[in-house]
Amino acid sequence: MERLARVLHSQTALIFGRSFFPLFAIVIILGAALWGPWVSLGVTVVAIAAALRLI
Amino acid sequence: MIPAVRLLPSRAASKPWRLFSHPQDWHCVLFHFICLAAYACAFWLYLHPKVASITGPWSRIAFVLASAMVLGWISGIDVGVNFHNHSHRPIFTSPFVNRWFGRFWTFSGGWPSFFWEYCHVTIHHARLLADDDWTLPKHSPDGTFENFQRYLFTHWPWRISIHLWKDLTAREPLRRRSLRELAIFLALWSIPFWIDPVMAVFLWALPHWIANAFVMNSGMYVQHAGCVPKTPAKPVSHSTVFVSNFFNLTMFNIGFHSEHHDYPRVHWSELPELHQRLKQELIDGRTHVVPYGNYHAAFLLAGDETRQAGFAEQDSRYKPGH
Repeated sequence: MERLARVLHSQTALIFGRSFFPLFAIVIILGAALWGPWVSLGVTVVAIAAALRLI
Repeated sequence: MIPAVRLLPSRAASKPWRLFSHPQDWHCVLFHFICLAAYACAFWLYLHPKVASITGPWSRIAFVLASAMVLGWISGIDVGVNFHNHSHRPIFTSPFVNRWFGRFWTFSGGWPSFFWEYCHVTIHHARLLADDDWTLPKHSPDGTFENFQRYLFTHWPWRISIHLWKDLTAREPLRRRSLRELAIFLALWSIPFWIDPVMAVFLWALPHWIANAFVMNSGMYVQHAGCVPKTPAKPVSHSTVFVSNFFNLTMFNIGFHSEHHDYPRVHWSELPELHQRLKQELIDGRTHVVPYGNYHAAFLLAGDETRQAGFAEQDSRYKPGH
């Protein structure tokens, strides 16, 4: 059971990890409906700056 | 090729009823569908501005800029990395599904799939760093590339269109196929323009330019900057290896680039394992290995000489005698 949980956990992490950037894009785009377009733009600029510095 | 790799039977051959060639390949499809969903969300919000708190021209500009940047970013990965894997190892067991899914894959990155495959497999992989590898920046024999920004802004679509025109119109069968693929691409690519031409310019064409100029072109630049063609004396100096775990997790292991060029038929999910097996060979062959990914490499190479020198530094774990 513990082994199954570990496998499922690692599989879920892999799915979210590999789809990280498109999921982030959806959060930014749909997020504009929640917090407005200016916050989405700000977060995008910060994310790009962080990517250029860190990864 | 490593004998063990060459002798492995393909999974599709051993289980012909499977949809995917490899059990991990459904991640590629999921990634592409999330990308298409992101475009659909952006289009819908653009057409329903009140929902996204778009109240005037400035808030519309903010929405369009944020959306175009993230859409460009993910389209660059979707075509430049995700479809790229498919061009080496088709993800479906059916050739028909491979061909048609490919067409529905690259149109959201501004490419006919056949054209991208031709550039990458027929030109880049077959002629890596040779004078006629026109997919890469112009370079001198010692491996020095042209200016980073010049490559980014002149390569796609300008230079590449000229090269593709010369190559693909040279022979009749190739010309016919290219025309057919271009027609299918234009039919698909024009869809957003039929919905709203202004929206299509800013949330479709602009992201495709960002994807190609800033994501794919910068990727091509950093993967081979300072490298030299493969020779018996320098067998593993043709590509830089990026070993950042986060980068490779989110980018289908494209960081293991030297391994990928030497063994392009090895599945993307198996590249970390191949990297471990070849690690000593890479250290002995003085392969350029860096601890970050393409993005930071692009940041370094886009800078002045001091910043560029930072890119030349070797990851300490990959220095001989470490």
